[in-house]
Amino acid sequence: MAYRILIVDDESSLQNMVSGILNQAGYETTSALTCAQALEQFRAAPPDAVLLDINLPDGDGFSLFGKLRESRDVPVLFLSARDEDADRLQGLGLGADDYITKPFLPQELLLRLRSVLRRVYREDAPSARLGDLEIDWGRSIVRRGGEETALTAKEFTLLKKLWDARGNIVTIDALCAALWDGPLVGYENTLMVHIRRLREKIEPDPSHPNYLLTVRGLGYRLSREGTR
Amino acid sequence: MSLRSLFKGALLVTASAALIAVITIAGVLAFVFYHSDGGRSWDMPVSMISSALTWDGADYEFSGDALLGDDRWAILIAEDGQVIWSLRKPADVPEQYSLTDVASFTRWYLSDYPVQCRIRDDGLLVVGAPRGSVWKHDISTESRLLHDAPLWCGGIFLLALGCVLGLSYFVVRRWFRQAQRVRDAARSDWINGVSHDIRTPLSMVMGYSAQMEAAEDLPPDRRKQAGIIRAQSQEIRDLVNDLNLTMRLDCAMQPLRKKPLQIEGFLRQVAADFLNGGMGEGFSFEMDLPIKPLPQIEADPFLLRRAVNNLLTNCVRHNAPGRTIRLGARAEGGNLVLFVEGGTAAGHPAPAEPDRPLAPDGGATHGTGLKLVRQIAEAHGGSVQFGPGAHQALRVSLILPIR
Repeated sequence: MAYRILIVDDESSLQNMVSGILNQAGYETTSALTCAQALEQFRAAPPDAVLLDINLPDGDGFSLFGKLRESRDVPVLFLSARDEDADRLQGLGLGADDYITKPFLPQELLLRLRSVLRRVYREDAPSARLGDLEIDWGRSIVRRGGEETALTAKEFTLLKKLWDARGNIVTIDALCAALWDGPLVGYENTLMVHIRRLREKIEPDPSHPNYLLTVRGLGYRLSREGTR
Repeated sequence: MSLRSLFKGALLVTASAALIAVITIAGVLAFVFYHSDGGRSWDMPVSMISSALTWDGADYEFSGDALLGDDRWAILIAEDGQVIWSLRKPADVPEQYSLTDVASFTRWYLSDYPVQCRIRDDGLLVVGAPRGSVWKHDISTESRLLHDAPLWCGGIFLLALGCVLGLSYFVVRRWFRQAQRVRDAARSDWINGVSHDIRTPLSMVMGYSAQMEAAEDLPPDRRKQAGIIRAQSQEIRDLVNDLNLTMRLDCAMQPLRKKPLQIEGFLRQVAADFLNGGMGEGFSFEMDLPIKPLPQIEADPFLLRRAVNNLLTNCVRHNAPGRTIRLGARAEGGNLVLFVEGGTAAGHPAPAEPDRPLAPDGGATHGTGLKLVRQIAEAHGGSVQFGPGAHQALRVSLILPIR
């Protein structure tokens, strides 16, 4: 089922563009130019998420945010030309799920929206595929050619963290924070051990990794398709 | 605010203070002159009155009525204290005086009459004025004080002048600052407004060009052109952001939200975000951090991220693809030095395109990118240095005090 996103912006041309981007990415969209229209649409058919501008002709996005949240707890992302810290802090302080500053790249908007939706609706697929490897998130196992290998809790966390950001570098600090909920100091070697063990389970040739790649000095990256 | 205009302002206030002082003194003098009987002092010429009193062998003859006036009186006291001549002497003025009486009235009053005296061969001539008409006071001072007076007066004058100058400097500076604040706020509001208005159209340029760049049904050269529009609009976005922030820092309108930062993790995250955003495409990247952990610093993560990001972006803009970008940090003499280098790493092939080198100051005097880096460093009590790095690359160092 496609998520339905309500876009609230007083610029219809921008609305059209954002609608186009979201439709192309598989989302359904509805649009509102004013606070009143937004409230009406929101009450008639509650969306799964709202992209909300701050400067609106009949009010401001912050107040509208409060009204929307009063009726239903949907994820809201501010999409505004106001880039000052005070606005960003106010938006996030009110409880918004993200604050995106205009101008933005379509990819950036999609990534941030997807990340919020995934977090709020826990839209994790039961399994994932990495080349010829199948990852069963529910059972915490990986399967290749009918052969199943169980992942430890740490390996599962590592793989999940890298999968969620696949294609991007995840720093060793972020991985340590995910594994031990603390800073990196003292854990580098243990992290390397976990990475090596995870490679043994997911890579056809762990000494020449195809999926879980090292980015020297920074961290690791789970490639989208494999390097070979 | 220029020093020259500040000095002119202070001088203007000082001149005004001096003018006020001159007018006041002149006014006081005029007042005294006007009230001293049209310029004629009460201090009448006793010597002339004395000359007008003569002894003709039998009696005293007085020819100075005009000099004395109608309201004054005179007596002549002999050596033995007896009044031997008088003119219009009030009834309550005694006829006989002791040495003590004489000593008292020559300085002060005779039966509350203000008097003046003159010593003659035949006695003491005393000229009196009506009661309450004259206020007498005694001035006596050490000679040394009079001797030092010019020095003291000069010193006090200079001190007063200094005080007025100093005070006027602060007052004028305050005026200037207030005026400057108003101007800064107007300028910042204007830039803010312009950048706000440019963001929505720029969103559309960036959005549609990025969509066209990714559209597989478009010919490759059209997609490439769309990619150029997308990249250029990103540059405009960065420029607008930098301009906005540089203006806020210039006008001291950007609050510094300092937090303790572990710099290694911070730099790794900035670098990862930079590379994940596709900014370093075509370049190789190296982190240069010491094995020993670096000390924590107190810094505003948003501003510091912006500074490092600007340095990395600058490196990409001014080096040809194929080069290596090196980001690192060192602790040096109480400072933390963050550096970004752009250059050819050993073993890498020569770049296909020539570099677009920076001026020796890194271009910090024009453009906003590096100016902003300098401003952010200064806001943290640090500085920026430009110098040669490894492999003839330009190294830009951000020097931040550890505490």
